Amino acid sequence: MKSSAVPTVFIVDDDGGVRRAVQDLVESVGLRAESFATGQEFLNKKRNSDPSCLVLDVRLPQMSGLEFQQMLADVGMQIPIIFITAHGDIPMSVRALKSGAVEFLTKPFRDQDLLDAIQQALQRDRAAREQQDEVHQLYGRYLALTARERAVMGLVVSGMLNKQIASEIGISEATVKIHRGNVMQKMQAGSLIELVRIADKLKPVLP
Amino acid sequence: MSNNLTHAPVEAADRLAAREPVEYMGVVGDMTERKRADEERLALARKLEESNAKLEEAQRVAHVGHWEWDLETNEVVWSDETYRIFGLKPQERAMNFAAVREMVHPDDRESLYGGVDVDLSVGAYPVAEFRIVRPSGEFRTVHAITSKRWSAPPVDSNGEASERARKLFGTVQDITENKRVEEERQALSRDLQESNARLEQAQRLVHMGYYEWNLMTGRVTWSAELYRIYGLSPQDGPIDMALVSEMIHPDDRERVFRESDEAIHSGVPASAEHRVIRPDGEVRSVHGLGTVKRDATGRACEMFGTVQDITDRKRAEEALQRSQLELRREQAYLAEAQGLTHTGSWAANFLTGQNHHVSDEIYRLHGFDPSKGPLSADSFYKTIHPDDEPVVWGIITNASHARTDFEVPEYRICRPDGTIRLLRAIGHHSPSGEMGEYVGITMDITERKRAETERERLRQLEADLARVNRVNLMGELAAALAHEIKQPITASVTSANALLRWLAHDPPDLDRARAAASRIEEDANRAADVIDSLRSFYKTGTPTERRIINVKEIIEQMSGLLSGEADRHTITIYSEVDPDTPNILTNPVQLQQVFMNLMLNAIEAMKDIGGTLTIRSRINPEKHLFVSISDTGIGLPTGSVERVFEPFHTTKPQGTGMGLTITRSIVESYGGRVWATANQGGGATLHFNLPCRGDAPV
Repeated sequence: MKSSAVPTVFIVDDDGGVRRAVQDLVESVGLRAESFATGQEFLNKKRNSDPSCLVLDVRLPQMSGLEFQQMLADVGMQIPIIFITAHGDIPMSVRALKSGAVEFLTKPFRDQDLLDAIQQALQRDRAAREQQDEVHQLYGRYLALTARERAVMGLVVSGMLNKQIASEIGISEATVKIHRGNVMQKMQAGSLIELVRIADKLKPVLP
Repeated sequence: MSNNLTHAPVEAADRLAAREPVEYMGVVGDMTERKRADEERLALARKLEESNAKLEEAQRVAHVGHWEWDLETNEVVWSDETYRIFGLKPQERAMNFAAVREMVHPDDRESLYGGVDVDLSVGAYPVAEFRIVRPSGEFRTVHAITSKRWSAPPVDSNGEASERARKLFGTVQDITENKRVEEERQALSRDLQESNARLEQAQRLVHMGYYEWNLMTGRVTWSAELYRIYGLSPQDGPIDMALVSEMIHPDDRERVFRESDEAIHSGVPASAEHRVIRPDGEVRSVHGLGTVKRDATGRACEMFGTVQDITDRKRAEEALQRSQLELRREQAYLAEAQGLTHTGSWAANFLTGQNHHVSDEIYRLHGFDPSKGPLSADSFYKTIHPDDEPVVWGIITNASHARTDFEVPEYRICRPDGTIRLLRAIGHHSPSGEMGEYVGITMDITERKRAETERERLRQLEADLARVNRVNLMGELAAALAHEIKQPITASVTSANALLRWLAHDPPDLDRARAAASRIEEDANRAADVIDSLRSFYKTGTPTERRIINVKEIIEQMSGLLSGEADRHTITIYSEVDPDTPNILTNPVQLQQVFMNLMLNAIEAMKDIGGTLTIRSRINPEKHLFVSISDTGIGLPTGSVERVFEPFHTTKPQGTGMGLTITRSIVESYGGRVWATANQGGGATLHFNLPCRGDAPV
């Protein structure tokens, strides 16, 4: 997306003092910040497509930060998370990081550590969004293929020769060549290697 | 011959046979045939002589004499036998009334002669029995009958005496022998009756009856008692073997008859114990004996035997056996009890050194084997530890002389195997009152003593641990409070950084910087508040100090303090505090310790899995504070849930296992109770209640 878009930092902490201080710090470096006392309040917030990240307190009423992280993953909401906690231990931080957290900071943290983590998280979000956009484009091309072309593309990227593909599908080798040419053109792939890379990127979204 | 009599009532002749010959005297003048008168007279005279002789003979044989008493002259004529009866020679001398009277026993004279006139006037003939005294002095008893006919004057046409008699005639019979025989017979009969009655009585007393069974006719005769034994009455009629067989208990019947058959064939007396079913259904046990009588040819003709009702005896025997059994059992119980309590009993005389009774346990206490026979009192005395001997004997000797009870509270013995045991002896001065006589008990208090020492040591240990626990809790508290302090510190540090960044802006954003500064102040004050609350927790005084405590506040405070610890393990703390939760009079530190222990315990149970900790408080119907702390953790140990309160029961690697034990001792010291229950959906709940002491305002 446009790099000019101002990224947003979301903060969830039940301690009002910490919440306000973190928001002020984030704003002091020119980023947008929005803070919530509970995870539920954050979920209710309609997010736009700008890059964003989440500063999440581990200790939350009702649902802990780690549980909240799991819940976000379950509903397919992808947002980089930076955990902050008053007493984190190693197992807890390992668990958080394994689940995809960007950073795990113990209170009181150095302001630069938090800001660095935020930058890293936003970068990750940005990259993720770009990747998502690319997949979106490739998927559009893929949708332009005929059923037979999709079948041929699947067999080509699996490493089969034209002759093998012909016998597999039950068509002539010449016909295979025509389909193959169409695939390369429609998918805008310059080489077989490029086509394989495109197929890899598409893999998560293909049935 | 009666048709020859002119005027004699026939029955009179019949009645007095002895008088018959006399009647012939009266027929002399009735003879009419002159022609053969002489012949006949001669014949008659001969006959008369014969008759007289026969009469004499008859009188002599029958000891009957006759007599005539002329009432006018008082002359008395006796027959020869009469003389003999009176101990005189026949016709030894002439008799008269006075002489006869003289010979009558003085005691009988009055009764004999007193009624003569009356008797005569009414025309009766008296029958008299009286004693006479022979010249030899011998007493004889005679029976005299005075004939009315011959004593009375001629009678009128109606046969009635019209005039006073002039003469009495009668017989006299010596009945001394008869009398004696009769008396003997009567005595015998009386004896027989008496002995029969006694036999009857004896049979009844021993419940023994007899029977006779005629083997020829099958007739059975029973004594009255035998009827009673069979629940019958002699009035029920004769007995036959079929009836007897029917009344014998079916299970015994065959055996009884086999026994009697054997007796009949072999001659060995039969003896059988069996049961009898009375008509009313009552079952009695009897013992029957039978002997067989044989006739001249050796054939069994009768069985005679006795039957004794032994039901009561059997019952008594059984009762005795039972009570003996009971006694043995009680003795066994006593021995068991003595063994269990390590207490033995004894009875002894300390002055004579004699043991009257020594229970097996006494042997065992002293290291002896009771099965190896009795030991002398000295053997026991010798086991007393030399150092304790003077004390032991001092106590016993003093008590013996004072005739009082004694107690040796503690003394040592050396068993034969060398082990030292601690004993206690209590002696009760024997009721017999003899000097030195005592009954008493001796118990082994070694274990008890050891347990007491051990208990004291444990109590000390528990106190130490309670202190350690409190220190640990302070540590836990500090850790929990650290979290609370970190929040405002984080906030103020972050705000300070933000402030610096706002100042670094070009131009510096003073408004944002000022806002940050004021937040820093706020957060710093917040941190100070947390530290104040920690200080208040530390300075709550000594455990003995009691105050009225607001339990709701304590719960709030504890939930706050432990929320950090709970977070760390993704545990959520809920509290459901009833508004009626009472205040209680207690020591605040100890109450905090109770909450802290129970809550940390719950957190510990959910440490690896997370979960929910719920604190509930209310007032229960007994006006006690009731608190429960539930977790959704690993639950209680299988088996007894009470185990969690046992010292050193722990599931934590670093746990002392004393947390709940200490909690319990604190709660119980305030008259409360702690218990654990398993939750239905998993996890456990620990409950405690505490009396409010009534005076604590809610």
